[in-house]
Amino acid sequence: MKSLKDYSGLWGVLSVALLLICIISWADGFSLFGIALKPAPIAERLTREPERPDVGASVALKQIALLPVEKRLVADTTSHSILIFGDSMLEGLNRRLGAYAKENGHTLNSVIWYSSTTKTWAECDTLRHYLRRFKPTYVFISLGGNELFIRGIIESRDRYVKKILKELGDIPYVWIGPPNWKEDTGINELIANNVPAGRFFVSNGMKFDRQKDGAHPTYESAAVWFDSIARWMPLHADHPIRMRRPNSSAPGRPATVVALQPPTN
Amino acid sequence: MEMSNIFHNICEVLRFEADNPMIFSSGLFWVLFIIFIPVYALLKKRLWQMVAFVVAFSLYFYYKSSGIFFLLLIGTSLIDWLLSKLVAMVEKRWLRRLCVAVSIVNSLGILCYFKYANFFMWNWNMMVQGNFQPLDIILPVGISFYTFQSISYIVDVYKGAVSPTRTWLEYLFFLSFFPALVAGPIVRADYFLPQIRENRHATTDEMFGGLWLIILGIIKKAIIADYIAQYNDLIFESPTGYSGFESLMGLIGYVMQIYCDFSGYSDMAIGIAMIMGFRLMKNFDFPYKSKNLSEFWRRWHISLSTWLRDYVYIPLGGNRKGTLRTYVNNFLTMLVGGLWHGAAWKFVFWGAMHGVGLAVHKACQPMLRRLPDIWIVRALSWGLTMVYVSLLFVFFRAASWEDSWLIVKNIFTNFSLDYVVPFFTVRKVWAVMMVVIIGSHCLPSRVYDRLECWFVKAPWAVKLLIFVVVVQLVIEFMTENVAPFIYFQF
Repeated sequence: MKSLKDYSGLWGVLSVALLLICIISWADGFSLFGIALKPAPIAERLTREPERPDVGASVALKQIALLPVEKRLVADTTSHSILIFGDSMLEGLNRRLGAYAKENGHTLNSVIWYSSTTKTWAECDTLRHYLRRFKPTYVFISLGGNELFIRGIIESRDRYVKKILKELGDIPYVWIGPPNWKEDTGINELIANNVPAGRFFVSNGMKFDRQKDGAHPTYESAAVWFDSIARWMPLHADHPIRMRRPNSSAPGRPATVVALQPPTN
Repeated sequence: MEMSNIFHNICEVLRFEADNPMIFSSGLFWVLFIIFIPVYALLKKRLWQMVAFVVAFSLYFYYKSSGIFFLLLIGTSLIDWLLSKLVAMVEKRWLRRLCVAVSIVNSLGILCYFKYANFFMWNWNMMVQGNFQPLDIILPVGISFYTFQSISYIVDVYKGAVSPTRTWLEYLFFLSFFPALVAGPIVRADYFLPQIRENRHATTDEMFGGLWLIILGIIKKAIIADYIAQYNDLIFESPTGYSGFESLMGLIGYVMQIYCDFSGYSDMAIGIAMIMGFRLMKNFDFPYKSKNLSEFWRRWHISLSTWLRDYVYIPLGGNRKGTLRTYVNNFLTMLVGGLWHGAAWKFVFWGAMHGVGLAVHKACQPMLRRLPDIWIVRALSWGLTMVYVSLLFVFFRAASWEDSWLIVKNIFTNFSLDYVVPFFTVRKVWAVMMVVIIGSHCLPSRVYDRLECWFVKAPWAVKLLIFVVVVQLVIEFMTENVAPFIYFQF
């Protein structure tokens, strides 16, 4: 018993600390001196619903972008005010989408936020501001390229993706998935989990010629990338708009391009 | 909240998860250790019950990390132990040697199969232009560590440096001792086995000294290393995507990350063993203070470098067979050391270059001794050593040769100070962590001794507060992400 007594001090430190961390974990928002403490994932881990075996998980991601045949719609042939927003991948996409917009009578506005992520866009009102300013009737999102290697992304960034989609409200959109240059840690799965069928174009698995940085597709490759999206839309998008391929491969340009500096956190 | 869900989830957590091995900084280990302590304390006086309990806990710990492979550990230990008994019993030299050879071949054979089979087959197929299909082999966690322990044990028994353990359980305790099982320090039989029999009780000061080491380890491993790793990973994942300055920061970051990661884990292992009344050897001694490569290897992964010295370098002839052989022996030892780290040519290259560096340093020693011991000489020696060690870490970390050369080339040909201000503006937390770890590395070791003494003597509530704050910091940083790309070329 003496030995047990010797260990009591140490045991007390470890146990009381665990108790405190558990309390914070179970409390619904806990702050100390005005600082909100992040809860340990103890409560979430213990109380989560048991996962059901998902036999088709790996194929689901590839298929999520495909709309069932019976639901395929006739393309909306009206002219649209298109907004494309996202990260630096827009540099390449803008040129080809610009050409498509001109060919099909749409107006294109583009907001590039370099180095931005879903977190960047969800944590501020920038998106709301540009939605009000451009009043788009159709939206393209190109986000995820800066989030290929984020640990635990499915849990940690789910709320950001939801927030962005909530901000869009009823505006039809297509989320253009990141052009993976390495296997990601779950960004594609995260987008697929949140975006309904016909609204997510999975770019992962496509072959790209890359720029010197090894990440961004070359302008030529980005043009082919957008051609693939345009071919995909009438077949699989849940709200296809007119996307007739321009006769020329000459790059187009958006009516407005807003370039935002990299976020500072 | 359904109780059945909670029960189901607890069972899930306790099961083997291949992508989620139990490490000392995980919540699960913490909870299990809280349960472990009182049982261990109660059994402490009954030696064999205590040994059996710790072995059972260690095997469960290994099961959580490597699943069914805990049976391999049991099997290896049984074969080693039987052969060691035979070595001690028989008198014929050839038979004793045969037993040692069988034991070593068995241990190394298992290691080679799991760790190097695909590597050897890949090389063979490259030579014969075959169509290589890698075998689906899972590497059991910590196999490199316990294989070296088992080799040192049988060799020491053969040499008469240690007596074989009386029971298999005692040997299994040595081989599977959970604090050192998956990532060292590599425990040596002559140092550790007497401690089992001694069954010494840890004093209260030692227990809190152990807790202090655990806290230091958590800060290094779970807060600093895991956080700064994210930026370093970005650089190594996409070597051409960054400027030379950013690549250099990624390299310096990785140099600090690998130290914090490994030494932090060793600190936790030593601390946990200390709480249990066992002493493990120091594994890192401020390696980045080294002023030459020989000193670096006396301070870096000490348990491995001393093992290599005693079981590879000295048996090869050490420095007893002339100058040239000394260099060759040094080189070969480091080659083995490199290959021990992983089954790839990049590790062989890394080890070989350290071998070359050590040989060059040894060759230059007569000249170096004549240099005056003034600060400029010391600074230059330190700088040269750090540049050499850091550049070699590029090859250690990068995914391929091509990536390694791209990073090195990028640092030297695409370097611009224009990136300094934006870099530190965007990555403040990363920079602060780097300053903290570099600063703390510069402190003299007596500062840490004093801090440890202060912590041990501090009131209970202060210890609790410090521990809770550190754990909360781990939680805070667990979900923090370093800002990824900065693009200025557009």
